[in-house]
Amino acid sequence: MENKIAEVIAAGSAEFTAECYELYNIPPLGSLVKTINEPVEIIGVVGQSMTSGFEPGRRPIARGKDEASEAAVYQTNPQLTKLLRSEFQVVVIGHKNGANLFQYLPPKPAHIHGFVLPCSSDEIQTFSRSFDFLNLLMHNEQIPPEELIAAALREMSRVQPDPSAFLIAAGKKLTGLMSGDYQKLKAVLGRLTL
Amino acid sequence: MPLDFAAVMQQITHMVTSLKSGRYERLEKINQSLQTLRQQSSQVDQLKKKIALSKTTWLVAEPVEKLDNVYPLPTSHADFYILATDGSHIDVDRHHSARCYLINISSVLLKYGEKPDAVITAEPRIYSDDADLSIPSPDGIREVPVEGNLLGAKRGVEECRKLAETAAKLPPASHSLALIDGTLIMWNLEGYQDFVSHLLLEEQYLVYLEKMRQLNQDRHLALASYISYPRSMDVINALRVALCPRDYVDSDKCAACKTRECYALSGIHDRELFANNLKPGERSAVFISPSRILARYGPHRVYFYYVNLENEIARVEVPMWVALDKDLIDLSHALIVDQCRRGQGYPVALSEAHEKAVVTGADRENFWQIIEASMVGEHLPTGDSAKSQSKRTRWI
Repeated sequence: MENKIAEVIAAGSAEFTAECYELYNIPPLGSLVKTINEPVEIIGVVGQSMTSGFEPGRRPIARGKDEASEAAVYQTNPQLTKLLRSEFQVVVIGHKNGANLFQYLPPKPAHIHGFVLPCSSDEIQTFSRSFDFLNLLMHNEQIPPEELIAAALREMSRVQPDPSAFLIAAGKKLTGLMSGDYQKLKAVLGRLTL
Repeated sequence: MPLDFAAVMQQITHMVTSLKSGRYERLEKINQSLQTLRQQSSQVDQLKKKIALSKTTWLVAEPVEKLDNVYPLPTSHADFYILATDGSHIDVDRHHSARCYLINISSVLLKYGEKPDAVITAEPRIYSDDADLSIPSPDGIREVPVEGNLLGAKRGVEECRKLAETAAKLPPASHSLALIDGTLIMWNLEGYQDFVSHLLLEEQYLVYLEKMRQLNQDRHLALASYISYPRSMDVINALRVALCPRDYVDSDKCAACKTRECYALSGIHDRELFANNLKPGERSAVFISPSRILARYGPHRVYFYYVNLENEIARVEVPMWVALDKDLIDLSHALIVDQCRRGQGYPVALSEAHEKAVVTGADRENFWQIIEASMVGEHLPTGDSAKSQSKRTRWI
């Protein structure tokens, strides 16, 4: 698995948290990632992410007063890359078992230490043929749903043969799903620009 | 039951008042010590002879050069490495069923310059074999258990072993400083039988120091230990010897002394003297440490100097092969000051080595619990002592 980018460090049925192998190498908000819990591939959308110190008791301090750039701070303090870590949470929106793709929660959560990989363009295209996953994104509690839904759809649209047509179709689906909350629907649609 | 602060408060007030009233007297003594340092500065040979003849119960530094020599901060190289190790341990606990101890040794390698990098690791090891748990005498009659102070000494040896191992991986022609926290003097071995101290000192610790010295054949590697807020008085004691009007000092006769000239400097620490003699970044002259065990150190005999790090005076100990090599002592001086500037006053590498090595109270609890659980899994007899259980379960 050469393209693994992170590893699962906490897992639940509806979401999991992954730690990046490289500091700041966090996949974009809304991008599609997967982790494998044989024989199931768990698929999710990148939500909340953060970078902080490894140990809860050790807070980073400001170090750049006499440095010319942020890069110079890391140059002067090479230990920092080993003391900080980037992690991100993933909202599970489906799973794959063999050739079968499901846009609902998998029977079992991800394994701790499971590798996390970005989904390929083909995988994203296949997954986004249906919009049933939107329901799961609407009920996530880590990040405002309108932000996460819009980010996920923007990311998915990038690999579509016709991104505009994809977003229009998604917008129609959302109109039905969010008919009871006009303000939220407006917020999502307003964020669906390429 | 919490501490009775009402009872303690009155005593704290009394203590602070007493410290305040003694402050003027202390400043006078520091001033006197600085004057003595300067007066004695050029009489090094005379002072060395007097110290050699003297018989004192206190440790007296041996001067090497003019006492008030001051060295400015040398320029450091653009590319260099800092290595450091530290350790912590879980001691043998006779209240637990398994007889073993754990030593956790951390290692930090920081590379500065064009391609900065950091490698921070820790190596925990459990010792449970009979050969690890005690040191037998050559005739096999006696054996000394490895626990308490002796385990502390063994941990110091392991820190040094790891430092030599890391140093060996440095590229040829590189400039590096290997740092140890605390002292290079294995004074805690002084109270043990010869076969114990010989095993840990001559057969191990000094072998690792020698390996680091040999690495200087194709690279520049300085070794130093760093003591923050040192309480030593070795240099002050040398000045006290100088102040004594007799030909030499004999502690046995000091009680009968009426004039007590040396009392003018008593109770002052070396760091207080050098705080007034060094500007930020500067280091003092080197001195030879007087501990008895150092007679066995050969080329690794411990020298030391003080360095002004802006917010404190630190004591830096170096082996003789560093102290007498201008390039290496300059390397140690420049890189220690550099490390402290990067580390908010304390060497970054030592700080990270400590963080990586530390074994917390919770770690200790978990360690013993995992051992107990593993033993139960294998149907081995277990059972804490009643004392151990009573510590864990508190009741009224």
